[in-house]
Amino acid sequence: MTRRKRMLEDLNQDIRDHIETETQENVERGLSPEEAHCAAMRKFGNVTRVAEETRAVWSSIWIEQLLQDVSYGVRALRKNPGFAMVIVLTLALGIGANTAIFSVVRGVVLAPLPYPQPDRLVMVWENRPNVKTLSTSYPDFLDWQRNARSFGQMAALTSRSYDLTSPGTPQHLDGMEISSGFLATLGVKPAMGHDFTPAEDLPHGTPAVLISDRLWRDRFASSPQALGQSILLDGAEYTVLGVLPPGFRFLADADVYTPLAQGEPLLYGDRTIHAIVGIARLKPGVSIGEAAGEMSAVQENLDRLYPAADRNLGTNIVPLKQEIVGDVGGTLRLLLGAVGIVLLIACANVANLLLVRSAARTREFAIRTALGASRGRMVRQLLTESVLLAMTGGVLGLMVAKLGVSLMFAEFPQSLPRAESIGVNLPVLFFAFGISLVVGIAFGLVPALKSSHADVQASLKSGDRGTTRAHPRSQSALVIVQMALTLVLLAGAGLLLRTIGDLRKVDPGFNTRHVITFKVGLSPSLTKTASSIRIAYQQLLDRIRQVPGVQAADFTNIVPLSEEDNGGPFWVGSQQSTSMQEAPHALYFETGPDYLQTMEIPLLRGRFFTPADTPDSEPVVVINSVLARTYFRDQDPVGQTITVAHWHTARVIGVVGNVKHWGLGDPGTYNPNQIYISFYQLSDEWIPAFARALSVAVRTPLDVATIMPAVKNVVYGAGKDQPVYNVRTMQEIVSESMSTQRLPMVLLAVFAALALLLASVGIYGVISYSVTQRLREIAVRMALGAEKRQVFQMVIGQGLRMAVVGLVLGAAAALILTRLLTSFSHLLYGVGASDPVTFASISLMLTVVAVVACYIPARRAARVDPMVALRYE
Amino acid sequence: MSTKEQKKRIELLQGTLDLLILRTLRLGPAHGHAVAKAIEFNSDEVLQVEQGSLYPALHRLIKRGWISVEGGTSENNRRAKFYRLTTKGRRQLAVETGKWEKLAGAIARILRPAAHEGKS
Repeated sequence: MTRRKRMLEDLNQDIRDHIETETQENVERGLSPEEAHCAAMRKFGNVTRVAEETRAVWSSIWIEQLLQDVSYGVRALRKNPGFAMVIVLTLALGIGANTAIFSVVRGVVLAPLPYPQPDRLVMVWENRPNVKTLSTSYPDFLDWQRNARSFGQMAALTSRSYDLTSPGTPQHLDGMEISSGFLATLGVKPAMGHDFTPAEDLPHGTPAVLISDRLWRDRFASSPQALGQSILLDGAEYTVLGVLPPGFRFLADADVYTPLAQGEPLLYGDRTIHAIVGIARLKPGVSIGEAAGEMSAVQENLDRLYPAADRNLGTNIVPLKQEIVGDVGGTLRLLLGAVGIVLLIACANVANLLLVRSAARTREFAIRTALGASRGRMVRQLLTESVLLAMTGGVLGLMVAKLGVSLMFAEFPQSLPRAESIGVNLPVLFFAFGISLVVGIAFGLVPALKSSHADVQASLKSGDRGTTRAHPRSQSALVIVQMALTLVLLAGAGLLLRTIGDLRKVDPGFNTRHVITFKVGLSPSLTKTASSIRIAYQQLLDRIRQVPGVQAADFTNIVPLSEEDNGGPFWVGSQQSTSMQEAPHALYFETGPDYLQTMEIPLLRGRFFTPADTPDSEPVVVINSVLARTYFRDQDPVGQTITVAHWHTARVIGVVGNVKHWGLGDPGTYNPNQIYISFYQLSDEWIPAFARALSVAVRTPLDVATIMPAVKNVVYGAGKDQPVYNVRTMQEIVSESMSTQRLPMVLLAVFAALALLLASVGIYGVISYSVTQRLREIAVRMALGAEKRQVFQMVIGQGLRMAVVGLVLGAAAALILTRLLTSFSHLLYGVGASDPVTFASISLMLTVVAVVACYIPARRAARVDPMVALRYE
Repeated sequence: MSTKEQKKRIELLQGTLDLLILRTLRLGPAHGHAVAKAIEFNSDEVLQVEQGSLYPALHRLIKRGWISVEGGTSENNRRAKFYRLTTKGRRQLAVETGKWEKLAGAIARILRPAAHEGKS
């Protein structure tokens, strides 16, 4: 038994005893028993109050009052379930949308990277005039590592795909080639086994591999015996040295990590080939600026030592988090702002409903005031009710958020970096809780303060059901604010919608419809030599072309709009006149002869490749129209020669249309020159390196589900150990290339729709309430000869006036706020921030919605029968 | 503004009542009714305490540990709770008495010159 309970147990008995003793004394003094009792009671005072006050000594009074308020609030709300439900649902949508976006912002932008002291980690890029971030060459990286003093650790990596053939079924795996300091730089230790030593990280070191936790579970059943076993990657044996911690991830998902120095010597032995990425951990106390200063000195030295390769190269140090989050951070903050507006609109609606309700409760408040409730106590009661509503809305909102986030992932699987750290976790719960509390107080305060002002005398005297006029001015103000805010959201969504529309109208330079791309891991038995690889691909494509429904098929090393990159220097003629960095650069497509036809890229002059272009015939290239225009001006490029670095001086045999490789909205400033080389003509030593990158493109009117089983059949027919993976339609790739705009567009559109819905409910509610309040007035007007039409117009006019004021204010705000969109340079394409078409159409839309929302109450007003209405009153 | 002033006055009264209870119990343990009577009697019935208000005050003092409570029988053989001053309460009484005397002294010093002025 608690002390409190023990102490209070006999309280009533004590009081009774006390009074009895007093009564007894009074009787002894000669009073009659009744008089004696009355005198004792008088002397004692109010028994109930004494008991209450004594009890209060033992309790925290505010908790008891709070519980009282809550239970009263619950009862009051349950008496009016429709009202409570509308509010809770409104808030659930508002809070849910906010929590969803916050969970994304927190996961992507706010949460620290999952490595120790993550803010010391940086990416070290190279750059050259006009190209801000450029992969580095491995020899340059090794020189950096030797010379730079600003970093505690420095490591290199590059992504690579592997075909795993043993143990278990053949499978394509994404992986990375990493230098030996990679894990140490990140501050990560293998969960089992150990990291590479510099001994493995050598061109002819023992083949060794680190595997992901996932692969370890899948292929080794989580057995500790996995260490020291060998796995077969691309036909070569690698010994498992270690298993990485569960969930370890750097930039991309990867299952196998092999030593970089053991990789392709053609790629990593050449200072002019920029194939790797550098990461580093800054020494304690060294700032990014200091590190950048030192690195440019180091690079200047390389410039002097290797002018042919490194002239004009610089370095560019970027904090790792900034690198990973990229542009998305800004977009997400924008969305957070937008979703905050939705919440404001929801709050305005709720505040409006509470105003109406508090008007209906005026009498209740008057009675409570008359019975001695203080103003503060009543404000507290009302706030408890509104916080109660907000909290319920918040709980539902969490579910809305969970649903929203999973829907977003389904719609944009690849668009968000760090997707793995997004989820409903403790900080998100705190956010939802906090926002509910703030919202509950914010929307509850105004109605609470207003209604606690109620004039007791007047409301008690009026004697009706207590429906006094609510607070019309506050209500209209809220509706106007809602309209304005909704317009702002509509403007944002509208501009992005126009952008997407314009992007869709852009001609990408090829026919994106009816094309499916996928990758094939050729059986290691077929890829022993360059010539066997050429034959294997030829046969593979021949088999695929015979599948019914396939109109054309061929492969390419880079798929347009997929962000795959393969740039390199070239020069016109055979004489190299400048350094590799100063030479013009082009994007190289290594394709088969049917590629042009498969993608339906227009051939402008000359011819494309034929099977007759072989390693033994004259090296030939096809160039795009941009390169032709820029470097051959008025001459006919066909028949001229171009030198491709690391390859040959080749004859130009054709000119094809430009392909928008870098995105539909690409302004054409980065690497607009395109050169096609026949894969079959590549030098023997380059064939294996490029074969790994090839994607097959198939033109077919059939859909993926119909054609792919047949395609897989013929691929597996040629060798069971040939995985088919990365199956995507060109349309999907196009959509994904627009995800920068599509993600904010879809979300803004959802928010704007939500806002529109809430605002129309808001204006409907206010107008319909006002019609109810004015029934008598309307009846009098009609009795005095007003036409139905006039009444109708009067009500619509009342709504329209609010809408128009809201529109004007909203348009002014939107004109300022949409500038934000243009400040994110990548978001808008083809439309200005104050695009008149967008603004005109959304204003029209909002007006129509407002009129429709007022239509029902207006019709009700027009149908008022003056006799009935007046008699009723 | 007005509520704040009211509160201060209530606190002052409460404090005074607490002091009177402690002072009364210094003479020995007593039950509730006896405490009320004693306060009334000892102050020559100048201080008319509403007897009920004694109970919240008693419980407040118990909660603070200044008095303790025990079962027993009253003079007329009734079962009754006896309240007893604890050591802590005894110390508190000294402190409170000192404070009170200081306050009373201060007030007296303020009032006396006023009285002189009134005479002259």
